[in-house]
Amino acid sequence: MQHILTGQAAEGMILAREVKDPEGRVLCGAGTELSASLIERLKQKEVSHVAVEGHPVEIEGEKPLKEYLLDIEERFSRVTDTPPLMYLKNKIMERAVAARNE
Amino acid sequence: MQEEKRQEFRKALRDVKNLPTLPGVVIKLSKMAEDPETTTEQMGKVISKDHILAAKLLKLVNSAFYGFPQRISSLSSAIILLGFNVIKSLIISASIFELMEDNDVELWEHSLGCAVVCSVLAKRMEISDPEEISTAGLIHDIGKVAIKMELPEEYQNIQNLVEEQQMPMREAEMEILGLNHAEVGGWLAKTWNLPGKLVEPVALHHDPNKAKLEKEATAIVHFADILIRGMGYGHGSDVWVPALRNKAWKLLDLAPADMDEILDEVEEKLWEVKGFSLDVKTEFEGAA
Repeated sequence: MQHILTGQAAEGMILAREVKDPEGRVLCGAGTELSASLIERLKQKEVSHVAVEGHPVEIEGEKPLKEYLLDIEERFSRVTDTPPLMYLKNKIMERAVAARNE
Repeated sequence: MQEEKRQEFRKALRDVKNLPTLPGVVIKLSKMAEDPETTTEQMGKVISKDHILAAKLLKLVNSAFYGFPQRISSLSSAIILLGFNVIKSLIISASIFELMEDNDVELWEHSLGCAVVCSVLAKRMEISDPEEISTAGLIHDIGKVAIKMELPEEYQNIQNLVEEQQMPMREAEMEILGLNHAEVGGWLAKTWNLPGKLVEPVALHHDPNKAKLEKEATAIVHFADILIRGMGYGHGSDVWVPALRNKAWKLLDLAPADMDEILDEVEEKLWEVKGFSLDVKTEFEGAA
């Protein structure tokens, strides 16, 4: 799953989460395929971002997964003797992998 | 370190000449809140005299940052719905927001992220007025801003130590100043007469075991700082996750299964507050 700005949304992408307008009303559910008219409607309703399946948008400056995981290792490198934090580290890594490989 | 030098730094930081003071309205409202005769209308009037503050307050109230379930369109309903303690935290947040936003983007992102984690944790632990804990998270590193503004030369030396020796910021601060940003933040919170609930979490966010009055709030800010650093959301050259204190961890009583849910909630909220700014000036100009 990837969070993207509504401006980055394109036809054919699948919503991973339901979309709500700024007032909290549900506009469409998870699993909906985006069409040009639907994207237009989301923009009109001032929806700023949506969550879509997979990782369809390349974000400039985003690090390759391998580098990203090394950064996580480095951040946790001084607390390797603390089991709850090692658990947290593994969870953060798992999530990073899952977010890119879906 | 020479004791003389240390005293000098202490004095400079305690005087905090370069940091703006909190708006007088906060002090005025605090006094009003202590008086049981004060009505919400009277408070609303005092706040609305400061147009910018009033606009910021409403923007903050309706932002994903606090995530209140309904839209709140007027100050008086905000005060009725949220209660005075919450409004006071919001005014403090609104005032400090600006100061931090302009000063250091990385630190700002880290603070905003920490506040988001605080709010998620406080709600899970069913703490009353979780907004107060968010505010504590938002300002927990305010001491770093004070050091940067009051002692720019020493601040640069601290940065150099972090980069050249790979030293955590706290240690570098001790080396150069003989005191650390948490301590400084605590003084600042006291100088600004911030609610006692905010002082301990700021002053002891790296030593939550020393907390006496606000053990829970301090433990939350302590772990929120760790979690948001772990997620890599906004940090300076000091990237390392700080040590977790055992007593605080036990107090939070989080099971491994909680961690997944917390990360989910935090990620979602972080995305929502991304790029959130309290800048209302441009909106005002646009409306005029």
